[in-house]
Amino acid sequence: MLDRLRHHWNVSSRREFFTRAGSGLAGIALTSMLAEAAKSDPLAPKAPHHPPLAKSVIFLFMEGGPSHVDLFDPKPALSKLDGKPIPDSIGKPKQTSRGTANNTLMASKRTWKQYGESGMWVSDWYQNTAAHVDDMTIIRSCWADGLNHVGSVCQMNTGSILAGRPSMGAWVTYGLGTANQNLPSFVVMTDDRDPLGGTNNWSAGFLPAVYQGTQFRRGDSPILDLKPPAGISDAQQKNELGLLRSLNELWARDKQEDSELDARIRSYELAYQMQSSAADAVDLTRESAATKTLYGLDDPSCSVFGANCLMARRLVERGVRFIELYSGSGSGWDAHEHIEQNHGKWCKASDKPIAGLLTDLKQRGLLKDTLVVWGGEFGRTPFNELSDGRDHNPWGFTMWMAGGGAKGGQYVGSTDEIGMRAADRPVHVHDIHASILWMLGLDHMQTTYLHNGRSERPTVLAGEIVKEIWA
Amino acid sequence: MHWPTVGLAGLLCAAGVASGEVSFSRDVAPVLASKCSQCHSSASKMGGLDLTAEADLRRVAGNGTLYRRVTGQTQPQMPMGGRLTDQQIALIKNWVDSGAKIDTATTIASSAPQFTEAQRKYWFFQPVAKPARVAGADNQIDALIDAKLSAKHLHPNPPADKITLLRRATLDLTGLPPTAEETQAFLADDSPKAFEKVVDRLLASPHYGERWGREWLDLARYADTNGFKADETRPNIWRYRDYVIQSFNQDKPYDRFVKEQIAGDEAYPGNLDARVATGFLRHYTDETNQPVMELRRQEILTDLTDTVGGVFMGMTMACARCHDHKFDPILQKDYYRLQAFFANIRADDNEVLLKGADLEAYQSKLADWDKRTKAIRDELDALVEPYAKQERDYYMPRFSTGTQQAINTPPDQRTPYQQLLAFQGMPQITHSWDTFSKKLKGDQKARFDELTAQLKSLDETYKPKPPVAQTVIDNGNTAPPTFILGGGEWTARGAEVQPGFLSILDPGDARITAPQGLNTTGRRLALANWLTNPNNPLTARVMVNRIWQGHFGTGIVASSSDFGTVGEQPTNRPLLDYLAATFVDNGWSVKKLHRAIMLSAAYRQSSTANEAAIAADPDNKLLWRYPRRRAEGEVVRDSMLMVSGKLNMKMGGPGIRPELPAGVNAVGYASWPVEKDSAEADRRSVYVFVKRVLTYPMFEAFDAPNAGESCPRRFSTVVPSQALTMMNDKQVIEWSQALAGRVLNDAGLDPAQRIERAYRLALARPPSAAEKTSVSDFLKSQTTLVAGRLAADEKVLLPENMPTNMDQAQGAAFVDFCHALISSNEFMYIN
Repeated sequence: MLDRLRHHWNVSSRREFFTRAGSGLAGIALTSMLAEAAKSDPLAPKAPHHPPLAKSVIFLFMEGGPSHVDLFDPKPALSKLDGKPIPDSIGKPKQTSRGTANNTLMASKRTWKQYGESGMWVSDWYQNTAAHVDDMTIIRSCWADGLNHVGSVCQMNTGSILAGRPSMGAWVTYGLGTANQNLPSFVVMTDDRDPLGGTNNWSAGFLPAVYQGTQFRRGDSPILDLKPPAGISDAQQKNELGLLRSLNELWARDKQEDSELDARIRSYELAYQMQSSAADAVDLTRESAATKTLYGLDDPSCSVFGANCLMARRLVERGVRFIELYSGSGSGWDAHEHIEQNHGKWCKASDKPIAGLLTDLKQRGLLKDTLVVWGGEFGRTPFNELSDGRDHNPWGFTMWMAGGGAKGGQYVGSTDEIGMRAADRPVHVHDIHASILWMLGLDHMQTTYLHNGRSERPTVLAGEIVKEIWA
Repeated sequence: MHWPTVGLAGLLCAAGVASGEVSFSRDVAPVLASKCSQCHSSASKMGGLDLTAEADLRRVAGNGTLYRRVTGQTQPQMPMGGRLTDQQIALIKNWVDSGAKIDTATTIASSAPQFTEAQRKYWFFQPVAKPARVAGADNQIDALIDAKLSAKHLHPNPPADKITLLRRATLDLTGLPPTAEETQAFLADDSPKAFEKVVDRLLASPHYGERWGREWLDLARYADTNGFKADETRPNIWRYRDYVIQSFNQDKPYDRFVKEQIAGDEAYPGNLDARVATGFLRHYTDETNQPVMELRRQEILTDLTDTVGGVFMGMTMACARCHDHKFDPILQKDYYRLQAFFANIRADDNEVLLKGADLEAYQSKLADWDKRTKAIRDELDALVEPYAKQERDYYMPRFSTGTQQAINTPPDQRTPYQQLLAFQGMPQITHSWDTFSKKLKGDQKARFDELTAQLKSLDETYKPKPPVAQTVIDNGNTAPPTFILGGGEWTARGAEVQPGFLSILDPGDARITAPQGLNTTGRRLALANWLTNPNNPLTARVMVNRIWQGHFGTGIVASSSDFGTVGEQPTNRPLLDYLAATFVDNGWSVKKLHRAIMLSAAYRQSSTANEAAIAADPDNKLLWRYPRRRAEGEVVRDSMLMVSGKLNMKMGGPGIRPELPAGVNAVGYASWPVEKDSAEADRRSVYVFVKRVLTYPMFEAFDAPNAGESCPRRFSTVVPSQALTMMNDKQVIEWSQALAGRVLNDAGLDPAQRIERAYRLALARPPSAAEKTSVSDFLKSQTTLVAGRLAADEKVLLPENMPTNMDQAQGAAFVDFCHALISSNEFMYIN
């Protein structure tokens, strides 16, 4: 029976499963010491289903919904139809977030240029990022299910508009294990408030909690309780850990068969090492002035996201597999009105850092193994809201991918003539997920986990890979 | 939208089919029969489509629906949950293109679900079979365990030593370590009944309910908030938590406990505890700003069906939400038959917990308040109405069409379904007067302020504030219909079903009798009566297994909410049935069950291992030793509070919020106002506020569930974040300082005695010679280190209330020793 359900974990041995290896944030270090347990460590590296194209993912999440028709999907017809209702040939959406379907179309106020050898179009809001189009596959035909933020952000992270399922980072960690020794494998960073839906967005859902994302806090202490409180010196702590070790060893003398006790002893040593290694990972003082400038750290309008982008590179170098960076976390990009001011601000906050990240990854030879994904939970409507804003558009929007095997200088799919719905080659969120997993070496149909008697997978009931991205 | 990307000709070649040669009976019917007929046959007729009816088949083939659905050109793509292969799609396409000829008399056979013989005989569906008494055995539990052990030539371990046993039993039953006095008393008691007395003492302790209530709260997915984005507080839901604690403490018979939680309002209408109990059905996560009320209601019903199926029946119902269960005999129909018991419920967040004269007094006070304030409230309503209407009109289009229709239908004309939708939708467009106060200008604003001031003063004097529960009730005595839903989607309605149980146990509709004199359907009462029938083969087995799991870490059935074929099989079925039968015979007494388990030799044996036994039964499934395990985060925290002398034993009341580690972004929807009174913060963990978007970090590190769904068994991991919590958390350090202060303030102890005192407080035993040496050596070297730091004017952490005549360096070193002691494995394990 159980053989029929791949990746099934035998419940009765689940405790042993975790603890023989004594794993966690840093399973490998322990596992290598406990060879017998290697196969049961939940974070031990697992063989991918096929040779991967990418080793790490940096997901740049523009939260609130960036306007594709003002950034990557120019629509001359929209300019012509400015101020007019949605043509019958296209048809109004049945339901919108704010009941705006009868509003008139609104032209983009941006100037557009073709960039690179590929000549792909990008607006002036993203002119730094635009320099990298020859490394980008721009998918102009994305679509999603949800109309409101919390559901849509949740779907972009977990596949479902309803909270409770594992996020993609958790699936990736589950499917591949960790590739580093003393950092989490799935890291989330924000630049403002918490994203809508909060921790649900990096939750392990029904997967064991070891696979959940770790939110790195800004500052020098990214993980909770990473540093001892004031009043305890390093030497003092080290000496105390020595006592703890000897007490634990004395107690374990007649319990030698219990590797969990051993694992717990080692977990303190690992935690001690993490105190310095995690702090080191986020210590940007070690970066050169030139690098900091590249990411815009000298510019207050983009330094927060820039610092996160730079940290993302440092984490990639340290083997962190899935890094999610929110721009405008807490729905910053949600431009129901005053889109010029709103997007003007958030594009400025993200354009230079993203360009810097791509440049830096490339010059260090990391881009070929690092998949950079850009997008929001949806795009924005071609029709206006409150005269100078745009409503939510889940029926057609743009995402792009660079590096990690993604082909450069190409479009996938298109929207209709005004940018409202996906037209050619619609790519659903599930398809995006299936493709990201594929590029990391995982087949979404084979990445399963038995929950409540069902073999669950990351793409719920759907999902197809979009081969054009890399093939 | 997944269009085939390969040309059709290519596909046909791949399928090995020459154009024009497609035969319906040979090529197409098998695909339709295996992939479509479960939802689209005469039995379920999803979307009104019955592919076994020739007319229907011709229609969807002829008008292109069939092809568009299987290719996904019309959403949702069929079949739900699994795309056809390119070859299968090509066959259908070719058949349609060649005229959709049907070359048989019948179209496709309807797939009427049939249970297999094996399913009918599956042990879990058979009556509980109490094993015959094993002659000559003192203890039946041990006799049944020994039977399994001896079959493998294994022997149970000798008894654990007294201190280990006392710590084990005390942590097990109360979640707290034994006090030094309790340890002394037990060691001094040489009578054969010494342990029995301990068990009885612990079962009588109010802390028993706090410990075992917490286990039940995991199952009940208890939380103090709604979940989702806003994660609003449920201000009165804590009464359910207190009800659970009290029920365990009172040894409420389990059948009664179940009945109260499923149908307390219908079964015991005058009983206030029973009204609180039904809060079990109120713990669903709820997206309160969801604009599609049909979806919101369906999600709640899904949660209830899955929760009730798992918690009380030990069945993973969720599989049957979209299709008949692939392995267990649960029909999709059964999922919705179970769901139908809850089809008429709605939240009742203002259930007044008064009765008799108290209730009458409250009602007359309320009427008085109503009379005194009605004019003011009416005028306030009228003042804000233009703005309230604007707001309603603005938000109304967000709602789904069905929600709008429900709200726009006059209340007395709404169908039961519309009543439920409107009940849930109205709060989204109903705002308090204050919301509009900023929009009022001039005289209106002045009048508004005057009226609100008057009302406030009247409210303070006259408005009664009764105790209130958050619970659910039936929305009247007529339930909306329940349909089988395709893919579990509320939009994909199939055949209507009536409330009913698992078909394999009882295929007919449930017999429902509406309770006399109550405005309710009686549906939940029918379910509760079925569940608690002594002959129900599921309920008692599932519960005794949970109690067993609580004592041994693993149940006799390890997957304690899944007794089906995909779950784990029992390691000792006669034992399970013995416990279940005895449980019912003993009037469903949970305490008697604890007692029987704990007085067995199996429970009292030591946890030590031997090679032969490990080789024969490495996972200790047959219980040749007591399984050592790490305590839950709540137990670790409570133990630290207890030995530091800080634990505040106060029981009950609204959830408390202890300090968070630095760096938690507890703002906005995740706000966490920390208790101002530190004594409140130092209460037991079961009273810590359960916030769905912010699990208390110390518990989260130690594998606490997130309360999004029922948790039958916690994971037990070893992760560095646990070590970081123990090493660096400010509270852990403070408790170490308090423990050190507690020991150092014991007058007249010499240095060796201090070490011993700390050991006895934390671990209920004196240190061994080797431990004494380790600790003394450490205190020496640590004192030197700290003295150096003090000389450099650095800050050090001293014991709480350190005796004034004590050397600071020695005091700080003693804190570090205490810190190591409460971080030790021994402290955290139930051994």
